[in-house]
Amino acid sequence: MLELKNVTKKFNLTGALDDERIALDNISLAISPGEFVTIIGGNGSGKSTTLNIISGSLKPDSGIITLNGRDITKLKEYQRAAYFGRVFQDPMKGTAGDMSVLENLEIAYNRGRRHSPIKWGFSEKHKEYFINELKRFDLGLEDRLSQKVGVMSGGQRQALTLLMATMRNNPTYQMMRRDYILFSGLKEEDARKEFDQEFSSKKAILDEHIRTIKLDSSISKNDKKEMIRNAKDEFDRQIREKFDLTKQILLLDEHTAALDPKTAKKVLELTNKVVRENKMTTLMVTHNMKDALTYGDRLIMFHLGHIILDVKGKEKEKLSVEDLLKMFDEADKKAENE
Amino acid sequence: MEFLDFILNIFSSGLPCCLLALGIFLTYRLLDFADLTAEGSFLIGVSICGVMIFNGVNPWLATLVSVLGGAICGIITGVLNRLLNIPKLLSGIITMTATGSISMIIMGLQSGNSDIFAAQVSFTNLVTKGSPQQTIYSLFYPWEQVGDFYIVPNPWGDVIKIAVMLGVVILAMLIIYFFFGTKYGMAIRATGMNENMAKAQGINTTIATIVCIAISNALIALAGALVVQESKTASTISATGYLVIGLASIIVGETIFGKRSFKNWLISVSLGSIIYFTIVNIATRLGLRTELKSLLYAVLITIALCLPLIKSGIKHLIDKIKSKKVKEAI
Repeated sequence: MLELKNVTKKFNLTGALDDERIALDNISLAISPGEFVTIIGGNGSGKSTTLNIISGSLKPDSGIITLNGRDITKLKEYQRAAYFGRVFQDPMKGTAGDMSVLENLEIAYNRGRRHSPIKWGFSEKHKEYFINELKRFDLGLEDRLSQKVGVMSGGQRQALTLLMATMRNNPTYQMMRRDYILFSGLKEEDARKEFDQEFSSKKAILDEHIRTIKLDSSISKNDKKEMIRNAKDEFDRQIREKFDLTKQILLLDEHTAALDPKTAKKVLELTNKVVRENKMTTLMVTHNMKDALTYGDRLIMFHLGHIILDVKGKEKEKLSVEDLLKMFDEADKKAENE
Repeated sequence: MEFLDFILNIFSSGLPCCLLALGIFLTYRLLDFADLTAEGSFLIGVSICGVMIFNGVNPWLATLVSVLGGAICGIITGVLNRLLNIPKLLSGIITMTATGSISMIIMGLQSGNSDIFAAQVSFTNLVTKGSPQQTIYSLFYPWEQVGDFYIVPNPWGDVIKIAVMLGVVILAMLIIYFFFGTKYGMAIRATGMNENMAKAQGINTTIATIVCIAISNALIALAGALVVQESKTASTISATGYLVIGLASIIVGETIFGKRSFKNWLISVSLGSIIYFTIVNIATRLGLRTELKSLLYAVLITIALCLPLIKSGIKHLIDKIKSKKVKEAI
């Protein structure tokens, strides 16, 4: 659960005291896990500011941001990176152009982990995983891992950034435990107890299972290996399903705005597919009202730093672009009258 | 023999500058940080190493301490820029200015000279076998006893000097190559290329930048230490002009040998300084007067900077000729 509570942000561009522009005016917003939210609004309505405040690249003037009950307002941008995958409007921003596809992916894989100055940055195991993921993305990049990202098209770069933002980075059990204690929303002690109990009981089951497999003389050696591997994978999956809290939130800041319509559509479709497959909590800012209506299960409309519309489910399905435009005009008129 | 001398000359001045070029490359190219600390940390390397050797300290230890001195210069510049928000160029200039005084203090204390501008450490005639003032090169010299004196037969002194330099350069390059292939090294490279992306990927870009500048200046100070042990003299002006040499080496190397991958890039940059000194030495051989040297450097740099343009121009010309031929053939 991601929550913004009474967040206000003012910009003072010229430095003059009376020239303050309010970007966000006392905004409160709660996003449930797994929700795909689309955000629309005119220029300067505060939609991008909201995303920047969530990701930590901007600090709110007042108000707090909580993630699963923990106050993360004071965390720096890079400290929050483990919990937010981001795709920017500018395709150049999300990837390092002078580095190869492989290097970019390795860096993304390491998101939220310690960057060891001794451990070699590449591994064959990762490479295999990247190739599989790239194939799933259908970009034709799986044979071009050593190519520099700088020579790729905007659409390809955006898709690559999307992969980097959504990649499951398989945190170690140690990391999962740490994050679960910090972010589960439970009391520290309870969270620790729950993790340790669950982990040790599951581990005991696994060990028992492996022992029976090993003792069973009717199974051939290769089959035994296979079965043990499957049992371990199953254990891993169960633990992750319950305790892996990282990387569940995707922040998309008009990530298709700089692309041509055809590529934009492709990237959007891809986004939708990935979000749905991974059940990711997603916030997508867009200029395009049609996209905002087509995708996602909740729609939020910003206007001059306020939320003027927040609909989900059936209510959202009923809306049309005309309705949105009408609301937009009304809000404009109201603001002018004031 | 004269040709051998020529070659030895190129390498003995070119090899330390490989390290200089690599150091400048780390900030200028990887971080996109025009770091003017370079001449300052070079001077620090020269003065620390010079004074320590003059006092009979183990040359390897002296070299190591100068490397640390360079790293500290880099950290200061990094902190000025990243934590105190002073613009890149200015933070480099501030550190460079400060090192002017620091190196004078280091060297002035030694010479006891009241005129600090003439502050100079020299151990030219003091290096013989058994004397405490050994350099990392002289440790390996095949000393020969002639009467009461020890001498080094020609050209073995120079050959061994270059072998030692080459060893140090290759070792430094390997360390740099492997370090920038580690997870943290990649994080630093990402920081330099795209800070936005680096932050979004959870990299503490402030620390990464400071670490990279520190490594860069450590390398530059190492170059200074190699140079002072080669020239056996250190003065407050011994660093002048080296920043330009480093920059020119980077650009020459990149243009000629390319920058396809990080490994390729590192090698190109270090070969660049050898090419640069080949040109300078040829010019000197051809009778270039000392007062024209700076002018030659300036011209060389200009040409080096224009090389990419010239390269594409030539390519364009070739394409034109080719297409003309094709047309004629049709």
